[in-house]
Amino acid sequence: MRALGTPKPAAVEADERGVPAAVDALAVDSVREEWIVEDRWWTGSPLRRRYFELVLVDGRNVVVFRDLVGGSWFLQRA
Amino acid sequence: MRSVMVVCVLYPRFELLAALGDRRALLSEPAALAPEAGREQMIGEVSAPAEAFGVVPGMRLGEAMSRCPALRLVPPDPEGVRSLWNAVLDRLEAIGAQVESDRAGAAFFESAGLRGLHGGDLAGVLAAARRALGPGARLGAAPCRFAAHAAALQARPRRRQSVVVEERAARDFLAPLPVSLLRTRPELQALPEVFERLGIRTLGEVAALPSRAVAERFGHPGLLALDLARGRDTALEPRRPPEPVAERLELPEAASGQQLERALELLVARVLARRERRGRSLRALAVSARFVAGGTWRAAVTLRQASADPERIRLVLGPRLAELPAPAESLGLEVEAFGPPAHDQGRLLDEAAEVRRGRLGEAVRQARQAAGAEAALKVLDVDPGSRIPERRAVLAPFPD
Repeated sequence: MRALGTPKPAAVEADERGVPAAVDALAVDSVREEWIVEDRWWTGSPLRRRYFELVLVDGRNVVVFRDLVGGSWFLQRA
Repeated sequence: MRSVMVVCVLYPRFELLAALGDRRALLSEPAALAPEAGREQMIGEVSAPAEAFGVVPGMRLGEAMSRCPALRLVPPDPEGVRSLWNAVLDRLEAIGAQVESDRAGAAFFESAGLRGLHGGDLAGVLAAARRALGPGARLGAAPCRFAAHAAALQARPRRRQSVVVEERAARDFLAPLPVSLLRTRPELQALPEVFERLGIRTLGEVAALPSRAVAERFGHPGLLALDLARGRDTALEPRRPPEPVAERLELPEAASGQQLERALELLVARVLARRERRGRSLRALAVSARFVAGGTWRAAVTLRQASADPERIRLVLGPRLAELPAPAESLGLEVEAFGPPAHDQGRLLDEAAEVRRGRLGEAVRQARQAAGAEAALKVLDVDPGSRIPERRAVLAPFPD
Protein backbone atom coordinates (compact mmCIF):
# COMPACT_ATOMS: atom_id res chain seq x y z
CA MET A 1 0.00 0.00 0.00
CA ARG A 2 1.21 3.49 -0.84
CA ALA A 3 0.09 6.81 0.69
CA LEU A 4 -1.49 9.29 -1.70
CA GLY A 5 -0.67 13.00 -1.68
CA THR A 6 2.76 12.65 -0.09
CA PRO A 7 4.70 15.97 0.02
CA LYS A 8 7.29 16.64 -2.67
CA PRO A 9 10.26 18.98 -2.13
CA ALA A 10 9.78 22.36 -3.84
CA ALA A 11 11.96 25.38 -4.55
CA VAL A 12 10.11 28.25 -2.84
CA GLU A 13 11.34 31.81 -2.43
CA ALA A 14 9.75 33.55 0.54
CA ASP A 15 9.69 37.20 1.56
CA GLU A 16 10.81 38.55 4.93
CA ARG A 17 7.43 37.56 6.49
CA GLY A 18 7.88 33.95 5.37
CA VAL A 19 5.14 34.23 2.70
CA PRO A 20 5.99 32.53 -0.66
CA ALA A 21 6.92 34.93 -3.48
CA ALA A 22 7.81 32.29 -6.12
CA VAL A 23 7.40 28.51 -6.49
CA ASP A 24 9.75 26.62 -8.82
CA ALA A 25 10.80 29.97 -10.37
CA LEU A 26 7.17 31.01 -11.05
CA ALA A 27 6.02 34.18 -9.28
CA VAL A 28 3.08 34.02 -6.87
CA ASP A 29 0.12 36.08 -8.03
CA SER A 30 -1.90 35.88 -4.82
CA VAL A 31 -2.20 34.00 -1.55
CA ARG A 32 -5.67 32.52 -1.24
CA GLU A 33 -5.40 30.96 2.17
CA GLU A 34 -2.95 30.29 4.95
CA TRP A 35 -3.15 27.88 7.90
CA ILE A 36 -1.01 26.04 10.38
CA VAL A 37 -1.16 22.33 11.22
CA GLU A 38 0.35 21.08 14.45
CA ASP A 39 0.14 17.40 15.30
CA ARG A 40 1.91 14.73 17.34
CA TRP A 41 3.31 17.42 19.58
CA TRP A 42 3.09 14.90 22.38
CA THR A 43 5.60 12.58 20.62
CA GLY A 44 9.33 12.81 19.95
CA SER A 45 8.69 13.61 16.26
CA PRO A 46 6.19 16.45 16.23
CA LEU A 47 4.68 17.75 12.98
CA ARG A 48 4.45 21.53 12.45
CA ARG A 49 3.59 22.91 9.05
CA ARG A 50 2.64 26.34 7.75
CA TYR A 51 0.44 25.84 4.69
CA PHE A 52 -0.24 28.33 1.88
CA GLU A 53 -2.74 27.98 -0.93
CA LEU A 54 -1.37 30.05 -3.79
CA VAL A 55 -2.29 31.20 -7.28
CA LEU A 56 0.77 31.37 -9.55
CA VAL A 57 1.24 33.76 -12.49
CA ASP A 58 0.47 30.95 -14.95
CA GLY A 59 -2.97 30.51 -13.33
CA ARG A 60 -2.22 27.29 -11.42
CA ASN A 61 -3.53 26.73 -7.91
CA VAL A 62 -0.91 25.05 -5.70
CA VAL A 63 -0.56 24.22 -2.03
CA VAL A 64 2.86 24.50 -0.40
CA PHE A 65 3.97 24.25 3.19
CA ARG A 66 7.04 25.06 5.18
CA ASP A 67 8.10 22.37 7.60
CA LEU A 68 8.57 24.43 10.75
CA VAL A 69 10.67 21.67 12.32
CA GLY A 70 13.14 21.07 9.45
CA GLY A 71 12.75 24.38 7.63
CA SER A 72 12.23 22.91 4.11
CA TRP A 73 9.46 23.74 1.62
CA PHE A 74 7.16 21.14 0.06
CA LEU A 75 4.42 20.97 -2.58
CA GLN A 76 1.36 18.96 -1.66
CA ARG A 77 -2.04 18.13 -3.10
CA ALA A 78 -4.33 19.15 -0.26
CA MET B 1 26.79 -39.88 -16.26
CA ARG B 2 26.35 -39.33 -19.99
CA SER B 3 27.05 -35.75 -21.04
CA VAL B 4 24.46 -33.59 -22.77
CA MET B 5 25.26 -32.74 -26.37
CA VAL B 6 23.10 -30.33 -28.34
CA VAL B 7 22.96 -30.62 -32.11
CA CYS B 8 22.31 -27.51 -34.18
CA VAL B 9 20.90 -27.69 -37.70
CA LEU B 10 21.49 -24.49 -39.58
CA TYR B 11 20.33 -23.26 -42.96
CA PRO B 12 21.77 -19.76 -43.50
CA ARG B 13 19.46 -17.41 -45.42
CA PHE B 14 16.58 -19.89 -45.18
CA GLU B 15 13.87 -17.23 -45.51
CA LEU B 16 15.55 -15.69 -48.56
CA LEU B 17 16.00 -19.11 -50.18
CA ALA B 18 12.37 -20.01 -49.52
CA ALA B 19 11.17 -16.74 -51.04
CA LEU B 20 13.39 -17.18 -54.10
CA GLY B 21 12.01 -20.65 -54.86
CA ASP B 22 13.48 -21.78 -58.18
CA ARG B 23 15.13 -18.40 -58.82
CA ARG B 24 18.12 -19.34 -56.65
CA ALA B 25 20.48 -17.91 -59.27
CA LEU B 26 19.63 -14.53 -57.74
CA LEU B 27 21.75 -15.52 -54.73
CA SER B 28 24.84 -14.72 -56.79
CA GLU B 29 23.62 -11.12 -57.15
CA PRO B 30 22.96 -8.47 -54.49
CA ALA B 31 19.47 -9.43 -53.25
CA ALA B 32 17.49 -8.93 -50.06
CA LEU B 33 14.09 -9.78 -48.67
CA ALA B 34 11.80 -6.78 -49.07
CA PRO B 35 10.10 -5.42 -45.93
CA GLU B 36 6.89 -7.25 -45.06
CA ALA B 37 3.75 -5.39 -46.04
CA GLY B 38 2.43 -3.18 -43.28
CA ARG B 39 5.53 -3.66 -41.12
CA GLU B 40 8.56 -1.46 -40.51
CA GLN B 41 10.50 -0.60 -43.66
CA MET B 42 13.49 -2.81 -42.87
CA ILE B 43 14.96 -5.43 -45.15
CA GLY B 44 15.17 -9.12 -44.19
CA GLU B 45 17.90 -11.65 -45.00
CA VAL B 46 20.43 -10.64 -47.66
CA SER B 47 22.59 -12.52 -50.19
CA ALA B 48 26.39 -12.71 -49.82
CA PRO B 49 27.04 -10.22 -52.68
CA ALA B 50 24.70 -7.75 -50.94
CA GLU B 51 26.67 -8.20 -47.71
CA ALA B 52 29.78 -7.23 -49.64
CA PHE B 53 28.15 -3.81 -50.19
CA GLY B 54 27.63 -3.43 -46.44
CA VAL B 55 23.93 -4.33 -46.58
CA VAL B 56 22.86 -6.29 -43.50
CA PRO B 57 19.53 -7.74 -42.34
CA GLY B 58 17.43 -5.28 -40.33
CA MET B 59 18.82 -2.27 -42.21
CA ARG B 60 16.38 0.47 -43.26
CA LEU B 61 15.31 0.07 -46.87
CA GLY B 62 16.50 3.57 -47.84
CA GLU B 63 19.97 3.01 -46.43
CA ALA B 64 20.26 -0.41 -48.08
CA MET B 65 19.30 1.04 -51.49
CA SER B 66 21.77 3.89 -51.14
CA ARG B 67 24.58 1.49 -50.23
CA CYS B 68 23.75 -0.83 -53.09
CA PRO B 69 21.58 0.77 -55.83
CA ALA B 70 21.53 -2.54 -57.76
CA LEU B 71 19.99 -4.38 -54.80
CA ARG B 72 17.14 -6.66 -55.93
CA LEU B 73 14.26 -6.87 -53.53
CA VAL B 74 12.54 -10.23 -53.21
CA PRO B 75 8.94 -10.23 -51.93
CA PRO B 76 8.82 -12.14 -48.63
CA ASP B 77 6.90 -15.40 -48.48
CA PRO B 78 6.07 -16.05 -44.79
CA GLU B 79 3.62 -18.81 -45.74
CA GLY B 80 6.19 -20.61 -47.89
CA VAL B 81 8.88 -20.26 -45.21
CA ARG B 82 6.60 -21.67 -42.55
CA SER B 83 5.58 -24.61 -44.65
CA LEU B 84 9.16 -25.46 -45.77
CA TRP B 85 10.59 -25.07 -42.28
CA ASN B 86 7.86 -27.24 -40.76
CA ALA B 87 8.82 -29.92 -43.29
CA VAL B 88 12.45 -29.71 -42.09
CA LEU B 89 11.38 -30.00 -38.44
CA ASP B 90 9.08 -32.92 -39.31
CA ARG B 91 12.03 -34.74 -40.90
CA LEU B 92 14.12 -34.22 -37.76
CA GLU B 93 11.26 -35.43 -35.59
CA ALA B 94 11.00 -38.48 -37.81
CA ILE B 95 14.45 -39.61 -36.61
CA GLY B 96 13.21 -39.22 -33.02
CA ALA B 97 14.56 -35.74 -32.24
CA GLN B 98 12.72 -33.40 -29.86
CA VAL B 99 13.29 -30.19 -31.73
CA GLU B 100 13.44 -26.61 -30.49
CA SER B 101 13.16 -23.88 -33.09
CA ASP B 102 12.32 -20.22 -32.53
CA ARG B 103 13.01 -19.09 -36.09
CA ALA B 104 13.15 -20.62 -39.52
CA GLY B 105 16.70 -21.66 -40.42
CA ALA B 106 17.94 -22.84 -37.01
CA ALA B 107 16.86 -25.90 -35.03
CA PHE B 108 18.31 -27.62 -31.97
CA PHE B 109 17.90 -31.02 -30.34
CA GLU B 110 19.65 -33.07 -27.70
CA SER B 111 21.44 -36.14 -28.96
CA ALA B 112 21.45 -38.18 -25.75
CA GLY B 113 18.10 -39.93 -26.23
CA LEU B 114 18.82 -40.73 -29.88
CA ARG B 115 22.15 -42.52 -29.56
CA GLY B 116 20.54 -45.86 -28.89
CA LEU B 117 18.52 -45.50 -32.09
CA HIS B 118 21.38 -44.46 -34.33
CA GLY B 119 24.52 -46.49 -33.71
CA GLY B 120 25.16 -45.68 -30.06
CA ASP B 121 27.20 -42.52 -30.52
CA LEU B 122 26.97 -38.88 -31.57
CA ALA B 123 28.42 -39.58 -35.02
CA GLY B 124 25.51 -41.96 -35.71
CA VAL B 125 22.98 -39.30 -34.68
CA LEU B 126 24.64 -36.67 -36.90
CA ALA B 127 24.71 -39.10 -39.83
CA ALA B 128 21.00 -39.90 -39.35
CA ALA B 129 20.16 -36.18 -39.26
CA ARG B 130 22.19 -35.58 -42.42
CA ARG B 131 20.43 -38.45 -44.21
CA ALA B 132 17.05 -37.07 -43.16
CA LEU B 133 17.82 -33.51 -44.25
CA GLY B 134 19.80 -34.04 -47.42
CA PRO B 135 22.43 -31.61 -48.69
CA GLY B 136 22.58 -27.96 -47.68
CA ALA B 137 22.25 -28.28 -43.91
CA ARG B 138 25.10 -27.28 -41.62
CA LEU B 139 25.40 -29.43 -38.52
CA GLY B 140 27.25 -28.61 -35.32
CA ALA B 141 27.27 -30.27 -31.90
CA ALA B 142 28.38 -28.91 -28.56
CA PRO B 143 27.41 -29.13 -24.89
CA CYS B 144 25.02 -26.16 -25.15
CA ARG B 145 22.78 -24.42 -27.67
CA PHE B 146 24.95 -21.33 -28.20
CA ALA B 147 28.17 -23.28 -28.75
CA ALA B 148 26.35 -25.72 -31.07
CA HIS B 149 25.13 -22.76 -33.13
CA ALA B 150 28.68 -21.39 -33.35
CA ALA B 151 29.92 -24.85 -34.37
CA ALA B 152 27.27 -25.17 -37.10
CA LEU B 153 28.31 -21.78 -38.49
CA GLN B 154 31.80 -23.22 -39.02
CA ALA B 155 30.56 -26.40 -40.71
CA ARG B 156 30.90 -26.56 -44.48
CA PRO B 157 27.88 -28.23 -46.08
CA ARG B 158 29.65 -29.14 -49.32
CA ARG B 159 32.17 -31.25 -47.41
CA ARG B 160 29.28 -32.78 -45.47
CA GLN B 161 31.30 -32.50 -42.30
CA SER B 162 29.89 -31.57 -38.94
CA VAL B 163 31.81 -29.58 -36.33
CA VAL B 164 31.76 -31.23 -32.91
CA VAL B 165 32.89 -29.43 -29.75
CA GLU B 166 33.63 -31.71 -26.81
CA GLU B 167 32.15 -30.97 -23.41
CA ARG B 168 35.26 -29.54 -21.74
CA ALA B 169 36.34 -27.64 -24.85
CA ALA B 170 33.28 -25.38 -25.28
CA ARG B 171 34.74 -22.32 -23.53
CA ASP B 172 38.05 -22.58 -25.41
CA PHE B 173 36.20 -23.09 -28.70
CA LEU B 174 34.12 -19.94 -28.16
CA ALA B 175 37.00 -17.78 -26.83
CA PRO B 176 38.43 -16.51 -30.16
CA LEU B 177 35.01 -15.93 -31.77
CA PRO B 178 33.71 -12.36 -32.17
CA VAL B 179 31.16 -10.88 -29.76
CA SER B 180 28.86 -10.25 -32.73
CA LEU B 181 27.93 -13.94 -32.43
CA LEU B 182 25.81 -12.97 -29.41
CA ARG B 183 23.35 -11.42 -31.89
CA THR B 184 22.10 -14.92 -32.65
CA ARG B 185 20.07 -14.46 -29.44
CA PRO B 186 17.21 -11.97 -30.00
CA GLU B 187 17.45 -10.65 -26.43
CA LEU B 188 21.13 -9.69 -26.94
CA GLN B 189 20.80 -7.73 -30.20
CA ALA B 190 22.17 -4.47 -28.77
CA LEU B 191 24.90 -5.86 -26.51
CA PRO B 192 27.72 -6.66 -29.01
CA GLU B 193 27.87 -3.04 -30.16
CA VAL B 194 28.31 -1.87 -26.56
CA PHE B 195 31.02 -4.49 -25.94
CA GLU B 196 32.84 -3.40 -29.10
CA ARG B 197 32.70 0.25 -28.04
CA LEU B 198 34.33 -0.79 -24.78
CA GLY B 199 37.09 -2.62 -26.67
CA ILE B 200 35.77 -6.11 -25.89
CA ARG B 201 35.95 -7.94 -29.21
CA THR B 202 35.95 -11.68 -28.48
CA LEU B 203 33.82 -14.02 -26.43
CA GLY B 204 36.97 -14.98 -24.50
CA GLU B 205 37.30 -11.39 -23.33
CA VAL B 206 33.62 -11.40 -22.29
CA ALA B 207 34.11 -14.70 -20.39
CA ALA B 208 37.00 -13.18 -18.46
CA LEU B 209 34.92 -10.29 -17.09
CA PRO B 210 33.95 -10.51 -13.40
CA SER B 211 30.29 -11.52 -12.96
CA ARG B 212 29.54 -8.84 -10.40
CA ALA B 213 30.76 -6.01 -12.61
CA VAL B 214 28.83 -7.39 -15.61
CA ALA B 215 25.64 -7.66 -13.55
CA GLU B 216 26.01 -4.10 -12.34
CA ARG B 217 26.75 -2.61 -15.76
CA PHE B 218 24.57 -4.72 -18.09
CA GLY B 219 21.95 -6.40 -15.87
CA HIS B 220 20.32 -9.65 -16.99
CA PRO B 221 21.38 -9.45 -20.67
CA GLY B 222 25.01 -9.09 -19.51
CA LEU B 223 24.78 -12.15 -17.29
CA LEU B 224 23.24 -14.16 -20.11
CA ALA B 225 26.08 -13.08 -22.43
CA LEU B 226 28.59 -14.09 -19.75
CA ASP B 227 27.01 -17.54 -19.39
CA LEU B 228 26.99 -18.05 -23.16
CA ALA B 229 30.61 -16.96 -23.52
CA ARG B 230 31.58 -19.40 -20.76
CA GLY B 231 29.90 -22.27 -22.61
CA ARG B 232 26.71 -22.41 -20.56
CA ASP B 233 23.16 -21.97 -21.84
CA THR B 234 19.56 -22.54 -20.78
CA ALA B 235 17.92 -25.94 -21.38
CA LEU B 236 16.21 -26.59 -24.71
CA GLU B 237 12.44 -26.20 -24.92
CA PRO B 238 11.30 -28.57 -27.67
CA ARG B 239 8.23 -27.61 -29.65
CA ARG B 240 4.96 -29.36 -28.94
CA PRO B 241 3.83 -31.68 -31.70
CA PRO B 242 1.79 -29.49 -34.04
CA GLU B 243 -1.88 -30.15 -34.71
CA PRO B 244 -2.34 -28.63 -38.13
CA VAL B 245 -5.87 -27.31 -38.46
CA ALA B 246 -5.96 -24.97 -41.42
CA GLU B 247 -8.42 -23.99 -44.10
CA ARG B 248 -7.76 -22.12 -47.34
CA LEU B 249 -10.17 -20.57 -49.78
CA GLU B 250 -9.33 -19.72 -53.37
CA LEU B 251 -10.89 -16.41 -54.31
CA PRO B 252 -12.40 -16.38 -57.82
CA GLU B 253 -11.21 -12.87 -58.53
CA ALA B 254 -9.05 -10.36 -56.72
CA ALA B 255 -11.29 -9.85 -53.71
CA SER B 256 -11.41 -7.04 -51.24
CA GLY B 257 -13.71 -5.41 -48.68
CA GLN B 258 -16.98 -7.20 -48.14
CA GLN B 259 -16.00 -10.22 -50.26
CA LEU B 260 -12.98 -10.80 -48.03
CA GLU B 261 -15.15 -10.56 -44.94
CA ARG B 262 -17.49 -13.18 -46.42
CA ALA B 263 -14.51 -15.41 -47.16
CA LEU B 264 -13.29 -15.01 -43.59
CA GLU B 265 -16.74 -15.89 -42.27
CA LEU B 266 -16.67 -19.08 -44.28
CA LEU B 267 -13.12 -19.95 -43.13
CA VAL B 268 -14.03 -19.45 -39.47
CA ALA B 269 -17.06 -21.71 -39.88
CA ARG B 270 -14.94 -24.39 -41.58
CA VAL B 271 -12.20 -24.29 -38.92
CA LEU B 272 -14.76 -24.53 -36.14
CA ALA B 273 -16.34 -27.50 -37.88
CA ARG B 274 -13.08 -29.48 -38.08
CA ARG B 275 -13.18 -32.75 -36.14
CA GLU B 276 -9.63 -32.23 -34.85
CA ARG B 277 -10.94 -29.37 -32.72
CA ARG B 278 -12.74 -31.88 -30.48
CA GLY B 279 -14.86 -29.20 -28.79
CA ARG B 280 -11.87 -27.07 -27.78
CA SER B 281 -11.92 -23.29 -27.99
CA LEU B 282 -9.38 -21.38 -30.08
CA ARG B 283 -6.65 -19.36 -28.39
CA ALA B 284 -4.44 -18.19 -31.28
CA LEU B 285 -5.04 -18.03 -35.03
CA ALA B 286 -3.17 -16.87 -38.08
CA VAL B 287 -4.83 -15.38 -41.12
CA SER B 288 -2.82 -15.50 -44.33
CA ALA B 289 -3.16 -14.50 -47.96
CA ARG B 290 -1.47 -15.27 -51.25
CA PHE B 291 -1.29 -12.28 -53.57
CA VAL B 292 -2.25 -12.18 -57.22
CA ALA B 293 1.10 -10.55 -58.01
CA GLY B 294 3.11 -13.14 -56.01
CA GLY B 295 4.26 -13.20 -52.42
CA THR B 296 2.32 -13.99 -49.28
CA TRP B 297 1.17 -12.29 -46.09
CA ARG B 298 0.50 -13.67 -42.64
CA ALA B 299 -0.80 -12.11 -39.43
CA ALA B 300 -1.02 -14.00 -36.13
CA VAL B 301 -3.71 -13.05 -33.62
CA THR B 302 -4.07 -14.22 -30.02
CA LEU B 303 -7.58 -13.96 -28.63
CA ARG B 304 -7.96 -12.12 -25.33
CA GLN B 305 -10.13 -14.99 -24.18
CA ALA B 306 -10.12 -18.40 -25.84
CA SER B 307 -13.35 -18.74 -27.76
CA ALA B 308 -15.33 -20.94 -30.11
CA ASP B 309 -17.83 -18.21 -30.90
CA PRO B 310 -17.67 -17.49 -34.66
CA GLU B 311 -18.96 -13.94 -34.21
CA ARG B 312 -16.30 -13.07 -31.66
CA ILE B 313 -13.52 -14.64 -33.76
CA ARG B 314 -14.66 -12.72 -36.85
CA LEU B 315 -14.70 -9.48 -34.87
CA VAL B 316 -11.07 -10.02 -33.87
CA LEU B 317 -9.79 -11.14 -37.26
CA GLY B 318 -11.85 -8.75 -39.41
CA PRO B 319 -9.71 -5.63 -38.86
CA ARG B 320 -6.60 -7.57 -39.89
CA LEU B 321 -8.00 -7.94 -43.40
CA ALA B 322 -7.77 -4.18 -43.78
CA GLU B 323 -3.98 -4.53 -43.50
CA LEU B 324 -3.78 -6.58 -46.70
CA PRO B 325 -1.50 -4.55 -48.96
CA ALA B 326 -2.53 -6.05 -52.32
CA PRO B 327 -5.36 -8.02 -53.95
CA ALA B 328 -5.41 -11.62 -52.71
CA GLU B 329 -6.00 -14.73 -54.78
CA SER B 330 -6.50 -16.94 -51.73
CA LEU B 331 -7.20 -16.50 -48.05
CA GLY B 332 -6.20 -18.94 -45.30
CA LEU B 333 -6.94 -19.44 -41.62
CA GLU B 334 -4.86 -21.64 -39.32
CA VAL B 335 -5.23 -22.51 -35.65
CA GLU B 336 -1.93 -21.81 -33.88
CA ALA B 337 -3.05 -22.76 -30.38
CA PHE B 338 -6.13 -24.32 -28.86
CA GLY B 339 -7.68 -23.22 -25.58
CA PRO B 340 -9.64 -25.32 -23.10
CA PRO B 341 -12.90 -26.93 -24.20
CA ALA B 342 -15.53 -24.23 -24.70
CA HIS B 343 -16.78 -23.86 -21.14
CA ASP B 344 -18.23 -20.35 -20.82
CA GLN B 345 -21.93 -21.15 -20.76
CA GLY B 346 -24.53 -18.51 -21.40
CA ARG B 347 -26.34 -17.24 -18.31
CA LEU B 348 -29.92 -18.20 -17.68
CA LEU B 349 -30.72 -14.90 -15.95
CA ASP B 350 -29.54 -11.47 -16.92
CA GLU B 351 -27.03 -10.71 -14.18
CA ALA B 352 -25.52 -7.57 -15.63
CA ALA B 353 -23.64 -6.54 -12.49
CA GLU B 354 -22.11 -9.99 -12.10
CA VAL B 355 -21.07 -10.05 -15.77
CA ARG B 356 -19.55 -6.58 -15.43
CA ARG B 357 -17.62 -7.63 -12.33
CA GLY B 358 -16.34 -10.73 -14.12
CA ARG B 359 -15.15 -8.68 -17.10
CA LEU B 360 -13.51 -6.12 -14.87
CA GLY B 361 -11.70 -8.89 -12.98
CA GLU B 362 -10.45 -10.38 -16.25
CA ALA B 363 -9.25 -6.95 -17.42
CA VAL B 364 -7.39 -6.43 -14.13
CA ARG B 365 -5.70 -9.83 -14.40
CA GLN B 366 -4.60 -9.11 -17.96
CA ALA B 367 -3.32 -5.63 -17.09
CA ARG B 368 -1.26 -7.14 -14.24
CA GLN B 369 0.06 -9.83 -16.55
CA ALA B 370 1.24 -7.18 -18.99
CA ALA B 371 2.40 -4.38 -16.70
CA GLY B 372 3.15 -5.92 -13.32
CA ALA B 373 1.42 -6.25 -9.98
CA GLU B 374 0.90 -2.49 -9.56
CA ALA B 375 -0.94 -2.06 -12.87
CA ALA B 376 -4.36 -1.89 -11.23
CA LEU B 377 -4.76 -0.14 -7.89
CA LYS B 378 -7.69 1.45 -6.07
CA VAL B 379 -7.84 4.46 -3.76
CA LEU B 380 -8.70 3.41 -0.23
CA ASP B 381 -9.91 6.10 2.17
CA VAL B 382 -8.11 5.69 5.50
CA ASP B 383 -8.85 8.93 7.36
CA PRO B 384 -10.70 11.22 4.92
CA GLY B 385 -11.10 14.03 7.47
CA SER B 386 -7.43 14.21 8.48
CA ARG B 387 -5.82 17.66 8.49
CA ILE B 388 -2.66 16.00 7.11
CA PRO B 389 -3.27 15.20 3.43
CA GLU B 390 -0.97 12.17 3.13
CA ARG B 391 -2.96 10.40 5.87
CA ARG B 392 -6.30 10.61 4.09
CA ALA B 393 -5.97 7.85 1.48
CA VAL B 394 -3.67 5.06 0.26
CA LEU B 395 -3.34 3.11 -2.99
CA ALA B 396 -4.24 -0.55 -2.49
CA PRO B 397 -4.28 -3.51 -4.95
CA PHE B 398 -7.52 -3.67 -6.94
CA PRO B 399 -9.34 -6.89 -6.05
CA ASP B 400 -9.80 -9.07 -9.14
